[in-house]
Amino acid sequence: MADIHLDPDVLSALRDVMEDEFSTLIDTFLADSEQRLRQLTVAGDATQLLEAAHSFKGSSSNMGAIRLAALCHDLEQRSKERNLSGIELLIADITREFALIRPLYEDERTRAGSAIATVRPY
Amino acid sequence: MIAVQAALEPLTILIAEDSAADRLLLSSIVRRQGHQVLTAANGAEAVEAFRQERPQLVLMDAMMPVMDGFEAARQIKALAGETLVPIIFLTSLSESEALARCLEVGGDDFLAKPYNQVILAAKIKAMDRLRRLQETVLQQRDQIARHHDYLLNEQRVAKAVFDKVAHSGCLNAPNIRYLQSPYALFNGDLLLAAFTPAGDMHVLLGDFTGHGLPAAVGAMPLAEVFYGMTAKGYGLAETLREMNAKLKRILPVDMFCCATLLSLSFQRQSVEVWNGGMPDGYLHSIASGERTPLKARHLPLGVLTPQTFDDRTEVFPMALGDRVFLLSDGVIDTCDVNDQLFGVERLQQVFAANRQPDALFEDIEQALRDFRGEARDDVSMVEISLLDPNLLSPPAPIYSDSGQSCPLDWSVSFEFRAATLKRFNPLPYLLQLLLEVHGLRTQSGALYSVLAELYSNALEHGVLGLNSSLKRDVAGFARYYQQRNARLEALEDGYVRVHLQVTPEGEGGCLVIRVEDSGKGFDVERVMARPVDPVRLSGRGVSLIRQLGRNAHWTDDGRSARVEFFWEALA
Amino acid sequence: MSVVSQVSPDGQKLTISVKGRFDFAKHQEFRESYESRDLAEVVIDLKEATYLDSSALGMLLLLRDHAGGDDSDIRVVNSSSDVRKILAISNFDKLFDIS
Repeated sequence: MADIHLDPDVLSALRDVMEDEFSTLIDTFLADSEQRLRQLTVAGDATQLLEAAHSFKGSSSNMGAIRLAALCHDLEQRSKERNLSGIELLIADITREFALIRPLYEDERTRAGSAIATVRPY
Repeated sequence: MIAVQAALEPLTILIAEDSAADRLLLSSIVRRQGHQVLTAANGAEAVEAFRQERPQLVLMDAMMPVMDGFEAARQIKALAGETLVPIIFLTSLSESEALARCLEVGGDDFLAKPYNQVILAAKIKAMDRLRRLQETVLQQRDQIARHHDYLLNEQRVAKAVFDKVAHSGCLNAPNIRYLQSPYALFNGDLLLAAFTPAGDMHVLLGDFTGHGLPAAVGAMPLAEVFYGMTAKGYGLAETLREMNAKLKRILPVDMFCCATLLSLSFQRQSVEVWNGGMPDGYLHSIASGERTPLKARHLPLGVLTPQTFDDRTEVFPMALGDRVFLLSDGVIDTCDVNDQLFGVERLQQVFAANRQPDALFEDIEQALRDFRGEARDDVSMVEISLLDPNLLSPPAPIYSDSGQSCPLDWSVSFEFRAATLKRFNPLPYLLQLLLEVHGLRTQSGALYSVLAELYSNALEHGVLGLNSSLKRDVAGFARYYQQRNARLEALEDGYVRVHLQVTPEGEGGCLVIRVEDSGKGFDVERVMARPVDPVRLSGRGVSLIRQLGRNAHWTDDGRSARVEFFWEALA
Repeated sequence: MSVVSQVSPDGQKLTISVKGRFDFAKHQEFRESYESRDLAEVVIDLKEATYLDSSALGMLLLLRDHAGGDDSDIRVVNSSSDVRKILAISNFDKLFDIS
């Protein structure tokens, strides 16, 4: 189990790539993540859990939330194996981890300043 | 942080990713690399985006709602058709099964999360290189197809022009049978046939080096010489000299034309042959069943200078029904699956097994098919039979003048001495002269035959002292012509005189031909007393003259011959 | 390399050996083996030549033209019986010394 909650190098790279849109990225990620967490808690079967965990894993790794990504990976594996006994504990872990890193992202956001979304959606 | 510069021209890249944060991040990365970005949140949106905007590259998340990445990839590849639109799957799928699925649907590469900018840039560059390669290949393919069409069209035009030149021939005469592919010309194969004014038939089977237009282009000047000179009454030797000189002059050094040239005389029942570089032809005697090979004794046309060209021909007797068979090397060179050649031996076997002379072509074609397993389209064969001349109808010559001014009362005398007799055939000139008299034009065939007979008697029996009874069998025939050439080469003295006199008579006119020679003469009474014998190979000349002309008689111990032609008023 | 050329020590004789199929594919190589030289005596060695077609005959004519035409001295040696046959039908023995 990795101990890094938020990888500063990744964050620095993100700041560099996103420039003015760094804040927007953080906002989007945080909103997305809350949705993922809700999906995890109300998930009805192994397949739904699997898809949600997989998705959450992807975005958290992109955002440098190393420990969170690792936890999601465990959840994904256990869902695949249909090893669901005691899965609520893992989901609780994930919730706690996100609660921990959330203020860290908000700090980053404040430091970078606000931004206007300029992504052109299809 | 490493700033990745755009190393290639900007592309339009479609990003299909359902996670909004990931989508935003990836778009920024890609845009920073200098590209235009389109985004889609699921497979269906991705396909629609592709349909509308036609991006050059796609980054596709595998797991998406509504339509997943696999299905979207499949549909996009189908929409793209021949064009290569690289699809890079965004996935952290680790099982090889999932990865295999990516490839199955047409995915070209993967990018794992977390996204690495350097790796992404490298993959985009590599995929773009492939994309442009495919584009080049398709462009070149289309260009080649266009050029091919031009070439085909050029060939059609060339063939049309050539057909106009070739149409003046007599390949459809009843005594000729031939097999030739319609595209023979573009394999360099040439087949020409034409009547001489005397009713003899000249045939040429030729094979130019090379293929396509270069081969076809050489054929046209050759055909013009062949038809022009044959129509004027020139013999094989002169025609060959002209054809060789022309090809030598106009063709590049490494191009030439292998050819067999024949002159078939129905009246004299003989065939004169010249073969330069072609496979053996065959003279088939129906009576004995024997086939005499007509071998190549000469270099092809267009190789030697006029000074070194060898125009010597061989002459063979023929009986009614006998055939000369010529073929191109397409027959001999036919290969089977093991690259074995059909060869001359197998051809000989077909000859030996052939029971029906009329079925020879079919027998050969069948043998080739059996050997190779399929038909070849570049085989040329021609068979010329000696038929009764009455069964043939040479076309009437066409004259280009209007007929208002024509010489009606004149005479001319020539004396051809040794040096001239060796190198010059005066017959075409004499005929042209006589054909200025319009009243004689309808009899040009008879006129030429009689002139030719008188001249050759005067030259061969008179001046050269050859004994025509030598020509009683095949061996004798060959000896006769060898002697003729030898004596002509060695000739120092002697002459042939030709007198022509045209006078008006009533509404028409009269032509008197006198031919004298410096020879020993012959026993006129004895020859006149002989019955006309159609089977004998010699001595028919005199009866021919008597049949075709009027009031033929010989004086001065046979050294002087005289014959008349008459014509009525023109309609 | 399928067309190999060699000059004799005294510089007077050029030997060109052709291996494999002597056909149009060898056009450039063959020409390059003689075109920059002044030719006195030329020998074409066909010991390892398996096949000769009409473009090879054309190449020989080009060589002959380059080497002085009627004044040229060109020998074609070590021809197999198949190659000999082709040269015989085309009567090239009237232009080249063939053995």
